[in-house]
Amino acid sequence: SAAARRPWRLFGAMCLLRLPRITQPLEKEEEEMAALMEQIELEKSLYSDHEMRKLEEEERLKRRKESLYDEDEAHGKTVIMAQDLEEKWEQKFLRFKAAPRITDADKSNDRTSLNRKLDSNLMLLVKQKIGNQELWLLPQVEWQPGETLRSTAERAMATFLGDHIQAKVLGNAPYGIYKYKFPRAIRTEDNMGAKVFFFKAFLQSSDLSQAKLKADYLWVTKKELGDYLKSEYLKKVNRFLLD
Amino acid sequence: PCRAQPKKKKKVDVKKEQAQKERMKKRLKKLEKAAPELIPIEDFITPLKYSESNRVRSLPALSPEESERRVLLLKKWCLFKQKQDEAEKKAIKAVVESQQEALKELHLESEELYEAAIRRDEGLFPFERDGPTHTPPLPGYDPPEGKCIDITKVYTQ
Repeated sequence: SAAARRPWRLFGAMCLLRLPRITQPLEKEEEEMAALMEQIELEKSLYSDHEMRKLEEEERLKRRKESLYDEDEAHGKTVIMAQDLEEKWEQKFLRFKAAPRITDADKSNDRTSLNRKLDSNLMLLVKQKIGNQELWLLPQVEWQPGETLRSTAERAMATFLGDHIQAKVLGNAPYGIYKYKFPRAIRTEDNMGAKVFFFKAFLQSSDLSQAKLKADYLWVTKKELGDYLKSEYLKKVNRFLLD
Repeated sequence: PCRAQPKKKKKVDVKKEQAQKERMKKRLKKLEKAAPELIPIEDFITPLKYSESNRVRSLPALSPEESERRVLLLKKWCLFKQKQDEAEKKAIKAVVESQQEALKELHLESEELYEAAIRRDEGLFPFERDGPTHTPPLPGYDPPEGKCIDITKVYTQ
């Protein structure tokens, strides 16, 4: 279009989220409420078939002890008691060992690993050179004429993670914007500053071993973002992140 | 003499067949007029074995302290859920505001990028995702084999 060239440079940044794999621990009120609900359900319920069987067998055992002759021996067959079944099931359950909720990466605080903090969202941060500073940022790349901002963000993701990333971008519209003016030394009439548009995407593939990460990268939760991002940038990013 | 007898038989047969057909049609019409039988909803019919009296659970009655504790817990829960709901709504509002601001800035920048941004994303829905589990998947776990046989009853009207 023949409009005057705006003095802002455009960047597209991608906020790549790894969604939680396990449930978050229950709050105190939630636990108390869950216990109460279970108790009420138990009180309102009737005996199930298994419990009826257990009660009958207990009665029979009592009668056997009190009476002089054994009724079951007269029949001559051994019966599996419900109590034995319960013990068998309990043993089987105890033998099964589930995967731990707190992984090794959690214990060693290895922030480059994706196996950390499985109950919260993890975001990708990369170290990029802006001007003459090395900063931790969400992966961003400058917009080139002829592409939409969404494809700029996707290109940013591909630059840092390689082409074989499966991510679901949530829509065509940007989620947030960070506007900043260049320092006076570089600022000109045509080049006042930059606008960074943030897009959000969910990581689909859990295996990133094929990805060739070219720069320093980190996967961090929303609370840990404050350790790496600058305050103004952090404020804008926190607005569109749901915990 | 050979021709006359077969002709009679044919006429009588034809009449009998027509009468039979009409009777069948009348029966069909009667059946169709009757209202269709309703399909029983199995969830709403309690099986008779559960209405026996020996099934009722025998538990000690609730003490007043216990019922007091329950009432207070329910009130605490109500407040907790209200706070949680408000926090969620606030977060969603913040996200929407942030998006609106971004779109406003984009509109100031360039008209075509703005148009591209507000276009509907066809590939977004239907979006499927497996929810989180209690523990992460165990690597190398061999689940026990078995076959699932469906025994739901199918009713036809």
